Amino acid sequence: MISLPQTPGRLCDGFSRREFLRVGGAAMLGISLPQVLSLQAKANTTVASATPLNGWGKANSVILLFLQGGPSHIDIWDPKPDAPSNIRGEFNPIPTNVPGIQLSETMPKLAQQMDKACLIRSVSYTPAGLFNHTAAMYQMVTGETPDKVAPSGQLDPPSPADHPNAAAHIAKFRPPEEPMLAAVQLPRPMQESGIIGKGGNAGFLGRAYDPYFLFQDPNKEVKLDDLTLRPEIPPARLQRRKTLLETINANMPEIDKVADSYALNEYYEKAYDLILSQKARNAFDLSQETDVLRDKYGRHTFGQSALLARRLVEAGTRFVQVNWPSVANGNPNTTAWDTHAANFGPLKNLHCPKLDSAVSSLLEDLDQKGMLEETLVLAIGEFGRSPRMGISTSGNGNAPDGRDHWPYCYTGLIAGAGVKGGQVYGKSDATGSTPLEKPVHPRDILATIYHTLGIDPHTIVMNHLDQPRELVKGEVITGIF
Amino acid sequence: MKLNLSLVVALLVVLSCCMILQQSTWSQMEETTPSVEVPDIKALKTHPESLMLEHARDGRRVLVSGQTKDGKWVDVTTWAVLKPASDGVKLHEDGYIFPAAVGNTNIVVTVNGLTTELPVTVKSVDAPPVSFVRDVMPILSHAGCNNGTCHGGAKGKNGFKLSLRGYDPDFDYELLIEDISGRRFNRAFPEQSLMLLKPTSEVPHKGGQVIVPESRDYNLIHQWISEGVVSDVETTERVARLEVFPESTELSMPGTKQQLIVIAHYPDGTTRDVTREAKFTSSMNEVAKVTDDGVVTAERRGETAILTRYEGAYSTNGIIVMGDRSGYEWVETPAYNYIDTHVHNKLKRLKILPSELCTDEEFVRRIHFDMTGLPPSPDKVRSFLADKTTSKEKREKLIDELVDTSEYVDHWTHKWGDLLQSNRKFLGERGMWLFQQWIHESIAENRPYDKFVHDLITATGSAYQNPAANYFRVSREYTAAVENTTQLFLGVRFSCNKCHDHPFEVWTQNQYYEFGAFFSDVKVKNGRLPGEEVVYASFNPTPVQHPRTLAVVPPSVPFGETKKEITNKRESLAEWLTSTENPMFAKAGVNRIWSYFMGRGIIEPVDDIRTSNPPSNPELLDALTKDFVESGFDIKHIMKTIVRSRTYQQSIKTNKWNKEDTVNFSHGIARRLTAEQLLDAIGVATGSQPSFQGVPKEFRAVQLPDSKVKDDGFLKLFGRPERESSCECERTTEVSLAHAMNLINGPTVANAIIDPNGRIAKLLKENKDDRVIIEEMYLATFARLPMENEYTTAIDHLVSAKSKEEGVQDLMWALINSPAFLFNR
Repeated sequence: MISLPQTPGRLCDGFSRREFLRVGGAAMLGISLPQVLSLQAKANTTVASATPLNGWGKANSVILLFLQGGPSHIDIWDPKPDAPSNIRGEFNPIPTNVPGIQLSETMPKLAQQMDKACLIRSVSYTPAGLFNHTAAMYQMVTGETPDKVAPSGQLDPPSPADHPNAAAHIAKFRPPEEPMLAAVQLPRPMQESGIIGKGGNAGFLGRAYDPYFLFQDPNKEVKLDDLTLRPEIPPARLQRRKTLLETINANMPEIDKVADSYALNEYYEKAYDLILSQKARNAFDLSQETDVLRDKYGRHTFGQSALLARRLVEAGTRFVQVNWPSVANGNPNTTAWDTHAANFGPLKNLHCPKLDSAVSSLLEDLDQKGMLEETLVLAIGEFGRSPRMGISTSGNGNAPDGRDHWPYCYTGLIAGAGVKGGQVYGKSDATGSTPLEKPVHPRDILATIYHTLGIDPHTIVMNHLDQPRELVKGEVITGIF
Repeated sequence: MKLNLSLVVALLVVLSCCMILQQSTWSQMEETTPSVEVPDIKALKTHPESLMLEHARDGRRVLVSGQTKDGKWVDVTTWAVLKPASDGVKLHEDGYIFPAAVGNTNIVVTVNGLTTELPVTVKSVDAPPVSFVRDVMPILSHAGCNNGTCHGGAKGKNGFKLSLRGYDPDFDYELLIEDISGRRFNRAFPEQSLMLLKPTSEVPHKGGQVIVPESRDYNLIHQWISEGVVSDVETTERVARLEVFPESTELSMPGTKQQLIVIAHYPDGTTRDVTREAKFTSSMNEVAKVTDDGVVTAERRGETAILTRYEGAYSTNGIIVMGDRSGYEWVETPAYNYIDTHVHNKLKRLKILPSELCTDEEFVRRIHFDMTGLPPSPDKVRSFLADKTTSKEKREKLIDELVDTSEYVDHWTHKWGDLLQSNRKFLGERGMWLFQQWIHESIAENRPYDKFVHDLITATGSAYQNPAANYFRVSREYTAAVENTTQLFLGVRFSCNKCHDHPFEVWTQNQYYEFGAFFSDVKVKNGRLPGEEVVYASFNPTPVQHPRTLAVVPPSVPFGETKKEITNKRESLAEWLTSTENPMFAKAGVNRIWSYFMGRGIIEPVDDIRTSNPPSNPELLDALTKDFVESGFDIKHIMKTIVRSRTYQQSIKTNKWNKEDTVNFSHGIARRLTAEQLLDAIGVATGSQPSFQGVPKEFRAVQLPDSKVKDDGFLKLFGRPERESSCECERTTEVSLAHAMNLINGPTVANAIIDPNGRIAKLLKENKDDRVIIEEMYLATFARLPMENEYTTAIDHLVSAKSKEEGVQDLMWALINSPAFLFNR
């Protein structure tokens, strides 16, 4: 399907990715998953010498709570009580259920679940080119820096030439074992001002690998047209239609051969299963959860989205991306993380309680259901916020009580799938400005995601111009396992 | 300073390796046991027939061929025993012949008891100094040091960066010498140089051992260091061209081998045997593999191309693996025109038999989709089938009729709207409508292709008055103009050589900017009306600079030459571009048109033409190109010629001899309908008009002015391009789970079926007989009458349904969801 005419063994790190790639293609053509996995395992053995196996293949699914807008790391994950007041801010640190690890007072519920998660306090990168949200968000989910900027100074909108995001690569290389949506993104697109959805899709892999977009509020009733049978078509009638179609096709063997070459029949079978089994439909049905649990996650868009993510993973979805429901617009009175002004009041009263209830409930819930061991959970933004208040780092104006963009050092939460809980990985300096040890690039986080799913992050895929591209040019953070 | 500059530029550069030979073969064949025995031969010869050795390092190989009983020459180099007649030459283990003493001598070549003699002249046995350009650089390439995945990557590896595949010797020399304060070299103890310790893995090297100590490569680098690490970048020219022998070859059975010999020709007239240093890749490893030392081994039946690369020079050599074709016999097949003659010649050569002609039912559906983007109406199908003239005649009549319809104009306007990126985002609403109208007029009057392109490239003035000027509102920057113009009208991808010389082609980074310089005076300013923009040639051009040297680059074309003194830059570019002398223009154009009808180009992808992506049938492409040029770039003429061929009219049904063929046009290729075709076909089938926002109510999908027109999401899902790229790849026609779900359960099909004004509602209201209804529905979807057993199936379903209405709706649903409907076949 996809092959490189290069002599095997000529790459720096061996040629297993070649073979691996073929597997990826084959999987689309209906090779069984066990076969694929065993081939993948084989492919990995040659990489193993270079990459320790920590966490390799531990995850069946990934939940990414994507905190778009850039939450302030100092006011949430990495308190700096000893820093000067114009850095420390208004919040105090609180102890957690892990001795020696403190969180900001904004996260009391998470403090009680800290034993399940790892805080990477040394996420760090220097922006190449644009210093704005869209570029940073694009990098978080694709690992690439966008190279095209519109005359307005904004990033170009999504394009079929974009690098595929993690969800797309995962849908391609580890499709679900049973009929289920491979990847789902909710409850709203990735967005900064007018640029909507950059990095949100499969780019050059083609729309077939786009995530299923559920851009609706799960805190209200969710409508699913293509997953819901229409009233005039009860299951029995669809079944009858299916039989009729199969009889009609059987009469045209030459044309059926064509369908085979497009794997049309396999897609139809999967689609019938999805529609008829109502498995996906049910997964989206939050009314099947108890009120107690729903309350615990929080009766707001983000809380219910996190709960929905768990239901989807439970039903077999590989990758769920929950985007923070309010977009960067600099208005402190909405719950956007982009706190150029009024960092503290809104954080304490609006943003953090939602984040706190959702993340802590998700960790606890997954753990109680025995799913945390095979689900990788991440909560991270595209950058943190400037330790010093009221200064400008991005060219934006900032109020004295605001914090500007800060990609040089911030925190991401990672848990499950073999990641050791109750630990801090990496360390920021006294002001949270720069990593003191073990800096982690967003690309490394993507590499770690692929790794836990048993996908070699250095696998080569061909882009729309048939150029070889690595899934991500990052290294697995082996120290967290 | 220069060093720092190049470093910065190198870091900014986004490297990309634009390549990958295109698949060209039959795909799968049963494997047979490889043959390894010495062929039975009756005569011997060598290539070359004599050797001239110039100096101590001038080693050469020879190929030994044997003639079999049936007169074919086969490679027997593996079995040849070479014996020098004197001490004038010596043989190395790897088969290379090296000079030992000045004078003339002979080598006796023996295979299986047959002998022949190879005369050798040794001119000198002195060892010249090692050249950085001709000796050291090739070693770096051969060892893979400058691969994109190693030190040739955009950021190098572990702090050491080389230019991608050695396209920039100057840059590489500077970095080798000056980077890390010159610690790579120890001129007193060359073996202590990092340049030798690293690649031999004597100090840790992530890339492993890529040069063996004491090997020839090792010794050359050693000598170069001891000679003082001298650069000859300024004085020594790189290789001019490669000669690979044999030029093309046919291997009979899996297991058969063929040694290749690669001779590098330099501008100063000297040559070298570079077989050892050259890189070989096979476009289809499944068909034939090639080893590092140039031995091709047949794997299974098929065609492949061996791409040989050496220091920026390339050569492509075709390999055919015939495999077992016993029992094959060509069946005389009529040739309707020259297309068939060329296609059949190739098929005969490969021992393939073409498919039967498609039926009239298949033809009427296929030609309608290909010419007009729409299926035929049931009445059209009926009248075509009822026409009693011969099938060939009535097909030609239909072709002539269709190219003169308004649907033809709409369809091709849409296609060119895609390619030219007619899009309100770039052009504003009024600009977009006017550009669409301009394209529409061009198609309607069948404006010659060269004129059409000339108009675009030279357009100036208000885009409201001269909509062709929109070309430069889309390609506002000279880089976009370079990339779009080359990809659209020459079929080549210059985007690769924006940042580095094209890794697998002759195009250089310089050429990119020289091409760009033709657009240096193109400027866009606001006009008087709201949204109006004026394209003009400025008296103050923005000079185009080479990104590394920052030198201002003068306009120059990448091949051939512009006719006169360049006074009007775009005029002279357009003249060169659209000239009948330009070998790429007509070829790229005709190949593109061909692909729209045949499902794939003779070169595929159609906008990625390069030596390493050879045409599957060069004679056919040349003939079409010639016809296109001689017709005065008459698009309708070339379209008609294509669809009148028997080749176009073949069935998709394959036979024993062509079932594996995918590239030689031995049978029809079924293609999924495009988004617009599919939506319009659903409209025709159900008689339900899809609704779009902001356009007249009766508009079909193919008439929409751009991708911003809102529908119910169907067009986007099925791959309608955004019109933001000149690449054909922007449109997708794959099939995925989302597509299946949409067709099965989505609103588009469901609503069209139950439309109270649609075909079904009408048929039911008229209370037609079941058979009449079924016939009408088959005609409206499959463009044919139902077969008797299909009537039975359908009637059974209608009878057992809850109501007749439900039954008929189910039947329509099933027909639409059948691949017989979803594909153009």
